[in-house]
Amino acid sequence: MFILFALITLVAALGMLLQKNVIVAGLCMVASFFGVAGLFVLLANPVAAALQIIVYSGAIMVLVLFVIMMLNSHEEEAAQSSRPVQRWLSLGLVLLFALGSLRLALGSAGLQALASKGGAAPAAMSLQAVGDALFSGHLLGFEVAGLMLLAAMVGAVALTKRNL
Amino acid sequence: MTGLDAILHGGLQGYLLVALLLFAIGLATVLLRRTLLLQFMGVELMLNAVNVTLLAFGRYRGGDAEAMVFYLFVIAVAACEAAIGLALVISLYRHRDTTDSDQAATLKQ
Repeated sequence: MFILFALITLVAALGMLLQKNVIVAGLCMVASFFGVAGLFVLLANPVAAALQIIVYSGAIMVLVLFVIMMLNSHEEEAAQSSRPVQRWLSLGLVLLFALGSLRLALGSAGLQALASKGGAAPAAMSLQAVGDALFSGHLLGFEVAGLMLLAAMVGAVALTKRNL
Repeated sequence: MTGLDAILHGGLQGYLLVALLLFAIGLATVLLRRTLLLQFMGVELMLNAVNVTLLAFGRYRGGDAEAMVFYLFVIAVAACEAAIGLALVISLYRHRDTTDSDQAATLKQ
């Protein structure tokens, strides 16, 4: 099952990277988010999977698709100046980053120990445990997140309204 | 569970590997594509990769609820980023009639 969801996630993400049409790329992004939600189910975390589908595949996706339809420019414009140096440099940077952290992730003895120690599947994450942890240890962070969402909402309206 | 087995059937390293590749693809999208909307989607992919890592470590520490708390905060930040980022894309499109980030290289028109 793991390899299935991992492949859905990664192939859809690659499709998003390579796709010319912005709408198709957006739909590839939804498929990738669904794959990630499947991975969360396999991680014994149905709460996170539900949130992933509601927030990412629901809210953020609708927002992105609305903006794509509003902008009416569905194909990537031709490059004004081709800068192959930058492209190769950034590609090399990404590959270097991927290889370096691959070596770290697969060669680390501490990760190996953690993986074998926590191998037994825990009980599925309950909403109650999440609520306890959130409201007992991170109440201030929760309030700040609420304030930040309000500020983002006001900011988005102020940025897009022509004359307030 | 080691090596190929971890990659095929899950295991901590398998999840980390998926998260790593997802992050790399997101980074490549931000660096290589020029359409602002696609770059924005790349940022969302990178945030998702971080979420996968967080929850994988939470599960392998015996179902730690702290991971879920930080996952919630990352979601809140991602939602804010979506609202503000898309508003910026729309206002750029109004002023310059383009969504190409290369054409928005100067602060003044």
